[in-house]
Amino acid sequence: MSTETAAPVQMVNVQIDGVWHQFPKGTRVIEACSQAQKFIPRYCYHPKLSSPGNCRMCLVEMGMPKMTPDRKPVIGADGKPEIGWIPRPQISCAQDVAEGMGIRTDSPMVQDCRKGVMEFLLINHPLDCPICDQAGECRLQEFSVEYGQAHSRFLEPKVKKPKNVELGPRVTLDAERCILCTRCIRFMNEVAKDDVIGILDRGSFSTIACHPGRILDNNYSLNTVDICPVGALTNTDFRFKMRVWFLKETKTIDINCGTGSNIVVGSRENTIYRITPRENNEVNGVWLPDSHRLNFKWVNDPKRLQQPLVKSQPVDWRTATAIAAEILKSKTSSEVWLVASGRATNEELFLTTRLIDALEIQKQHDIIPRQGEADGLLIAADRNPNTTGAKLLGVSAKDPGSRLKRLVEGVRSGAIKVVVTLGEDLTKAGLNETDLAKLEAIIALDVLPNRTTPYATVLLPGSAWIEKRGSMINLKGRLQRLNRGAAAPGEARDDWEILRDLIHGISGSNGLYMIEDLFKAMAADVPEFGGLSLSKIGDLGLPVIKEKPAAEPAEAVI
Amino acid sequence: MNIPDGLLAKIDEAISHYPVSKRSASLPLLHLWQEHFGFISDEGITWIAEKLGLQPVNILELVTFYPMFRRIPAGRRHIRVCRTLSCAMAGSYELKERIAAAAGIDLLAKAPEAHGGHHGDQEHDSSHHVENVGHGNPITVSPDGAYSVEFVECLASCGSAPVAMVDDLFRENVKLEDAPRLLELQRSDATMPRVLAPHPREKRLVFKNIDRDGWTNDIDCYLRDGGYEDLKKAFGMAPEAIVEEVKKSGLRGRGGAGFPCGVKWGFIKRGGPKPTYLICNADESEPGTFKDRYIIHQDPHQLLEGMIISCFAVGASLAYIYIRGEFPEGAQILEKALAEARSKGFLGKNIVGSGFDLEIYVHRGAGAYICGEETGLIESLEGKRAYPRIKPPYFPAVLGLYQCPTIVNNVETLCDVKHIIAMTGEGFAKLGKPNNTGTRILCVSGDVQRPGYYEVEVGSLTMGELIYDVCGGLKEGRTLKAVIPGGSSAKVLKAGETYKLKDREVKLEDLVMDFDTLAAAGSMAGSGGVIVMDDTRDMVATLNNLNEFYAHESCGQCTPCREGALWMKKITDRVLAGGGTESDPDILKNVADNIAGKTICAFGEACAWPTQSFVLKFREEFTGKSQKLVPPPMPPEYNSDELIANDRIEPVSAPRDTGREVMAPAATK
Repeated sequence: MSTETAAPVQMVNVQIDGVWHQFPKGTRVIEACSQAQKFIPRYCYHPKLSSPGNCRMCLVEMGMPKMTPDRKPVIGADGKPEIGWIPRPQISCAQDVAEGMGIRTDSPMVQDCRKGVMEFLLINHPLDCPICDQAGECRLQEFSVEYGQAHSRFLEPKVKKPKNVELGPRVTLDAERCILCTRCIRFMNEVAKDDVIGILDRGSFSTIACHPGRILDNNYSLNTVDICPVGALTNTDFRFKMRVWFLKETKTIDINCGTGSNIVVGSRENTIYRITPRENNEVNGVWLPDSHRLNFKWVNDPKRLQQPLVKSQPVDWRTATAIAAEILKSKTSSEVWLVASGRATNEELFLTTRLIDALEIQKQHDIIPRQGEADGLLIAADRNPNTTGAKLLGVSAKDPGSRLKRLVEGVRSGAIKVVVTLGEDLTKAGLNETDLAKLEAIIALDVLPNRTTPYATVLLPGSAWIEKRGSMINLKGRLQRLNRGAAAPGEARDDWEILRDLIHGISGSNGLYMIEDLFKAMAADVPEFGGLSLSKIGDLGLPVIKEKPAAEPAEAVI
Repeated sequence: MNIPDGLLAKIDEAISHYPVSKRSASLPLLHLWQEHFGFISDEGITWIAEKLGLQPVNILELVTFYPMFRRIPAGRRHIRVCRTLSCAMAGSYELKERIAAAAGIDLLAKAPEAHGGHHGDQEHDSSHHVENVGHGNPITVSPDGAYSVEFVECLASCGSAPVAMVDDLFRENVKLEDAPRLLELQRSDATMPRVLAPHPREKRLVFKNIDRDGWTNDIDCYLRDGGYEDLKKAFGMAPEAIVEEVKKSGLRGRGGAGFPCGVKWGFIKRGGPKPTYLICNADESEPGTFKDRYIIHQDPHQLLEGMIISCFAVGASLAYIYIRGEFPEGAQILEKALAEARSKGFLGKNIVGSGFDLEIYVHRGAGAYICGEETGLIESLEGKRAYPRIKPPYFPAVLGLYQCPTIVNNVETLCDVKHIIAMTGEGFAKLGKPNNTGTRILCVSGDVQRPGYYEVEVGSLTMGELIYDVCGGLKEGRTLKAVIPGGSSAKVLKAGETYKLKDREVKLEDLVMDFDTLAAAGSMAGSGGVIVMDDTRDMVATLNNLNEFYAHESCGQCTPCREGALWMKKITDRVLAGGGTESDPDILKNVADNIAGKTICAFGEACAWPTQSFVLKFREEFTGKSQKLVPPPMPPEYNSDELIANDRIEPVSAPRDTGREVMAPAATK
């Protein structure tokens, strides 16, 4: 975040494990310790939620400078202020650092506290790690290794609580595993503003639950699973599907709307098992809507397009591209129209502009807008992830979709004879199947069959977003990167390579062999990308368009 | 849902008592609902939530937190028997059995297959438990549905143990053979005042009117005795001057922690943008303590006068009396007293021409000890589960009720304020000893000849004098074994021990009953509840009784207390049942060590101190019962039926409905 005009931040001196550090005023003690490389274990604390201080795992020794009767700090032999240590351990999650504060993160008292709390958390825990989905990413497991003990002193029957509870359509609760940190309750209350989870009963019998008449069906419910530090809340969709340590984690971005939420895709052997949010405070915080994260099943759909087809006959890529190029070359510019997609990457859109140039079909192209309703949190009204990029590169009309009526008129009047569609179903552009049947040729690049693909003269199987590298610009003008987490099925290829070959077939121009080169070429042409490369974008992206594009209502950022 | 007009009117009236937040009316509405319908149905939960603009789970959370609320009906006559230490020592376990026998209730009846919310098929062909998961103490109902019996935690009348509540009627000193009579108890049979002349060693100040001949709790009687004159005097003073007097008086809080009252008041910043609130903590529930109940029942106007003065001093124009749910009659008496005070112009706008406005409302709890903790009380008053708040930052004087500056004072403390105005701070400080000023109501229960309440100047008598002179000594042929000096949380003191004080070493009997001496002896004066145990008492059983209390009352918010309190109870259960192993005393002590000082509120210490002190001081009794080399075998964690019930996991090949149809529409490829 730019801090050009920010007032100088007041710094305070804090002693952590004997070493003095400086932190900006307002830093939480627990965060200050992390910054000083002294990690403090925690369960209930979450930086995006309020601090109830209930798990007691982050207890540390804390002290404040000793004061003389006239309120001057007492200076010790080493010339530093002497610290008066508080005899009781203090939680580090709810207090900010203060001038002269002392913290001990690893004293015998602190170690005792952690050992005690770990034991308490585990006495009534089922210890069913072998069949628990959280295993491998469970804070109970992690902190047991560091702060727990090898044997149990607990000789009593454990408290029994409900298991296999469907809290909502997408979240399953095992109350016996729950450590009652209340992160889920606070998330629903403070972030999702849908206070449906509560605690029933009390003492050791406390159990999180929903009222039967008001279940956890909020579109952000799976975030409770993300922040649950143990295996109490699990993702019903992901449950028992894959051990988490087998998952390959790919950092990429969500493509379900213009927000461009940052995500991690968990896949194994080209199958996607789950998607979880990735922290980016400029975009999505650490949250992700359920509808977006569960929208990946189509990637592994057996109906995926896997083979280039010409008039429904399988052909090799060279033939398919050559035939497509021949068709396009055989028409005059006015007879060709191109429909691109707001889901395409900048790189694909850049090549699309080259294709438009080669075909000389300026103004005979547009994208298909996707409008939904903004939810006030992370879902933008614009359901295309890269409208901004499409506009910037000039593939889209200024008002996306405004030229499509010319396509429909042209097709119906017979003026347009060939349509190229790059990842869109033409019936969504206003054409009907009669119109499609009437066209001399359709050249379609797509990943799944749709109402257009049966009419495609040349069908070019492309890649899903998780099979691609490239970049997109979200509605706030932030350039973000896609990464490949899986390989496209069968003969399907990366979309930009298909476009490159098609342009080569038409104009003979060539020279791009790597996506990095493509980005470089684009950066040379487009001032907004000047000086950038794919790697320079980084995991969190960069703002490239300063002023916010108009027409899009402000999205709430969490 | 068809709500009768009368109930609706009461509900709207209750909501009007909380001008800042309707949510605060949750507990009052639940009480009204249960009084009318006998229990709180799921329908009721939804109705109340809607009425208050809340989610149903917000109300369900309360119904399952506060044990006085039931989700299915009890018997037509519901009897609550006090289970906690002093009553247990006086035979309350047998009392409950006898009541059950007389009512035809089978206490061992197996609980029906039920989870929290199940109700409906009440066939009443056998005794049954009302499932009260988590509350520990089930309600057992007779086959004909006429009677039900329930153990409850300390009813705050330990001096007249054993005690029981029959519906809303209170019955003290119940003789075991009289158990059947409880079933037919009439209102006129309910006992409350026990006329006992003050002991010569007493100095009656706050308790001046308790058991006084010809004294009634109405305002006319109070006014005839010079009531509300101190209020008029206070109005002639500047609020700051009153705070100064209270500081000078050295008054320390009578609730348990002994924090200086004037200092507490001094934390309130005057003239800020937020209003200041005052709350009277009448959630008297520390086992062994039974003083506030008598003030409320017999001298409510003394409390009101003290409260009005205190509100004037701290600048509060809205105050609440948080009274524990088990004092239904006390709540009614306070309501009546408030109405009387209002009609005489001592409450409302421009009180007796002073220009000061004040409203006081009664707010009933519903059976949770943790509401005695001031921030837990505040949460409860806000209509939430009584989870104590973390301090810092939530110090009540800064961020209290509705995040505004708030003073929470004990009943006795607020009464003392009235007397400080009457006799000046300096005059009050002359009573008692320096740093231990004023009088103290000592509540003595357990194995003494004359248990009861005794108001004395702080530090004017020793433990020995209290037990042997004032309380008439131990029962015939018994010797002293142990004393808990300040409510059940206070560390136990063992007969024969000596304590090193600043200047000398003293025996238990010579300990002076004041804040500082008891603290120096390693315990505390706490709330003034003295529980005396003689040589017939088994210390493992005694600790087990207290452990059960704390396990039942732990709010469950923070880890050490939630898990540790029940663990300690389970260990003492097992040791008592003969399954103690050699390591149990050490583990017990260590579990307590791991709780004390590591929790959000002082309940951590409260539940750990008994275990720490009992095991330390009566170790031989614990080791004597902990001789097994290996622990007894545990029952299997799940029986085969439960395993099948838990095994509802569908195979991977049949993926579950992801529920996508209920999600927001999103782009799909």
